[in-house]
Amino acid sequence: MKVKYIKITTLFFTIGILAFVLVSFKAQQKEPWTSEQLLAPESLAKTIDNPQLHQPIVLCVGPAATIKNSIEIGATREKENLDKLKEKVKNLPKNENIVLYCGCCPFDKCPNIRPAFELLNQMQFKNHKLLNLPHNLKVDWIDHGYPVNN
Amino acid sequence: MNGKSLLACLCIIITSFSFSQAQSLNIGNTAPEIELPNLAGDTVALSSFRGKIVLIDFWASWCGPCIAEQPELLSLYKKYRNVNFSNGEGFEIYGVSLDNKKVAWQNQIVKQQIVWTQVSDLKYWSSPIAKTYGIQELPFNVLIDGRGIILAMNLHGDELAKALNQIKH
Repeated sequence: MKVKYIKITTLFFTIGILAFVLVSFKAQQKEPWTSEQLLAPESLAKTIDNPQLHQPIVLCVGPAATIKNSIEIGATREKENLDKLKEKVKNLPKNENIVLYCGCCPFDKCPNIRPAFELLNQMQFKNHKLLNLPHNLKVDWIDHGYPVNN
Repeated sequence: MNGKSLLACLCIIITSFSFSQAQSLNIGNTAPEIELPNLAGDTVALSSFRGKIVLIDFWASWCGPCIAEQPELLSLYKKYRNVNFSNGEGFEIYGVSLDNKKVAWQNQIVKQQIVWTQVSDLKYWSSPIAKTYGIQELPFNVLIDGRGIILAMNLHGDELAKALNQIKH
C-alpha cells in the first residue's frame, strides 16, 4: 500500500516537473530575444557617460528618442517606421553593436519592441540588444537620473 | 548590533519611509496644480474646475490601454456631467496627455471624439507633471472633489463607475 502511494506521488511529482519545464521553455520561446540579449539600463548609462568607450548605435523604436545620443526611428508597430529601421541598419556590418529601446509601456504591452527586434533577427544581426525597460522609460531610466537628450 | 545602533537604524528607516511617503500622492491630499496648454495653446489650470468633481486622466495616443478606455470615459462623462455630487456640482474630465507629438495627440482626440479639456506639455515621460504625480504606468487617473481633494486614484472600468455612483446625491 505504502509502495503504491510512493509510486503515485513520484508520478505526480515527475508530471509537475515536466509541466514546469515545458511552461518555462515556452515562456522563453515566445520572445524574439534571449535573456542574454537584454541590456541593463545601468550598463548603457555608464557607456553613454564615458565617451572613451565604444558607443553602440542606440535606436528608439517608440514615441520619442529620450535617451542621450539615441536616434529616433518612430514607433515600429507601424510598417512605415519598420521600413525606416530597415533602411537605417541595412548597410551596417552584421556584428554592429545595436541597442533598441521603446519604454512607452511595460514589456508585455509594448507594441513596438517585438517587430523591431524580429526585423534585426531576420536581417541576421549578431550583436543587437534590447534595452531592459520592463516598466517604462520613466521608471527604468529617467527616474534613475540616466542621461537624456536635451 | 547593540541597542543604540539598532535604534539609530530604525530612526533612519522610519525617516526615509516618511520622506518617500511625503513625495507621493495620498487620498485626502490636495491634488497638485497643473497648468498646461490645450491644443489651441491656451493654458488651462486644473484649479479652474474647482467646485466640480474632476477626473484627471493621464493618457497618451501611443498607449493602447488608454485608447481602449476613452469610450468608457465618454459614457461616464455624458452620464455624470450635470449630476450633483455630495462634494461637487457636475463632473469634468481633465485629460493630461504624455504625448510628444502634437499631431498624434490631436489626431487621437479627433478620432475618438474626445470632448473634454485636453492639455499637454508634449514632453512624453520627461514631463515634470509625470514626476509630480508619481506616475508609474499609463493609464493613470486621479479623482478629485470640488475642493481639489483626492478622493481616489487609478480606478478603471466598473470601479470608477462605482466610485462616481457612490458620491452622487
